[in-house]
Amino acid sequence: MWLFDKYVQWRTDSRIHSLEQGLAEKPTPQLYLQLADAHKEAGNQAKSAQVLKLGAARYPNAPEIVRRQADAEKAEREMEKKRLVERIQSHPNPILYARLAELYKADDELTRTIDTCQRGIKAFPKYGGTYLVLGQIFADKKQWPEAVAQLEKSVALDKYNYLALKLLASVYMQLDRPTDAIQRLDDILFFAPGDEGILELQRKARAIVDAANPKSIATQTGAKTGSGKPQPRPSSMPNVGRPMSLPPAAPKVITKDQALAKGLADLRLVAGVNGAILVDQYGLIVAANLDASLDEGLVGALITNVYRTASNHSVKLGVGQFEEGVIEGADGNIHIVQFDDMILTIFAKSDAKHGLLEKSIRDFAETALNK
Amino acid sequence: MRAILAQLNKTQGVWGSMVVGRDGIIIASDFSIDVSEQQMGAIASQILVALDGALKRIKLGEFKRFMIGGSENKLALINVGQTILVVLLRRDVNMGLVNVDIKTAADAVAKNSRL
Repeated sequence: MWLFDKYVQWRTDSRIHSLEQGLAEKPTPQLYLQLADAHKEAGNQAKSAQVLKLGAARYPNAPEIVRRQADAEKAEREMEKKRLVERIQSHPNPILYARLAELYKADDELTRTIDTCQRGIKAFPKYGGTYLVLGQIFADKKQWPEAVAQLEKSVALDKYNYLALKLLASVYMQLDRPTDAIQRLDDILFFAPGDEGILELQRKARAIVDAANPKSIATQTGAKTGSGKPQPRPSSMPNVGRPMSLPPAAPKVITKDQALAKGLADLRLVAGVNGAILVDQYGLIVAANLDASLDEGLVGALITNVYRTASNHSVKLGVGQFEEGVIEGADGNIHIVQFDDMILTIFAKSDAKHGLLEKSIRDFAETALNK
Repeated sequence: MRAILAQLNKTQGVWGSMVVGRDGIIIASDFSIDVSEQQMGAIASQILVALDGALKRIKLGEFKRFMIGGSENKLALINVGQTILVVLLRRDVNMGLVNVDIKTAADAVAKNSRL
């Protein structure tokens, strides 16, 4: 029996290997489906789901793979919801509420979404992510004033929240407030310079303002119309990097888990490491250990923007799902590693030992994150 | 340019490479696997804009290289003056060996761009 199991295992592994090679050389939707099945047969559901996700991203018009991927995602969401409900009961934190609300929202369970957001806000009123989910719901329902109220709270708590600022700008447009929209889009361009989508929205908003009052456009924000190039710092912003139009820095609202803080402090002990920061999917800081000269919020937003740009297009770039990245600058490096729905970023000198750093990141994942 | 890329692509673990302008327009490309070169060029340019802005704000100087590791392959974006060298690599590639060849190719692209 043991020998037979070994044989089956060997056959499955060989099949997976051969399918992976086939995919690397000449991918087809059928190969993705076969590989997903092979992983499923091998008992690796997570890998099977990952393969389907990649296949669906590469072949969005192949019906079978898209259907299978949607089913796999639904099953994954159900498992995640269960896990989050348990964790909220044992170790509540604001990110868990926001994540759970998002999952309910993805499955159109609106009553549960709103209930989860309200409970999250009651328990952690100073976390911007939960207001953002509520704002998204109101925006979906076209309840614009209610959406504005929630989104303004979200950006008041986190001035570098890309999604909240972008949605707020869109809602302002719906409410015929293009000047406010331009202001919010300017705030985004401060940490996401050259973002084509934002520049396009800004061009539209400017066109409306311009049509209503031709003289106002040049004086409103000081930026060029439709240049397509990175925008200069809006004149309203001081040099320290905080948009003046936004409320003053909110006190840190996420309770920094001791294990994460210690994990980041340990990472900083590695030779050549200047700092480390852990942000969630919204770019909100979970834990940070940076030089005092760096604005945590701004760093989080900048990194999330780079991460978003790279990871959103990773399949089209031919790398599959984004796992990690190393940015080398003339005066230092940035290491970005994705852990589930969080992004760990480490700032290091150019001569920091890469192998040692990788080992330290693995240690961090095993100890701090698993706690 | 194509000769430089062809030479680089002989390195074990390299799936292919391309040179794109900072505006995302392809200057030369050579891939042994099926990729959408135009999309790749446009995205590389978009990433470069995001990186340039981020590195300046964090005061890490000029962007030199971005290495992306994914579930299937690796990708290197190298800043070569007015162009970007994009190299697609196998996931299990030995970076120590490939780095030398990428550097040689980047230098050759830079020299070629100046001509």
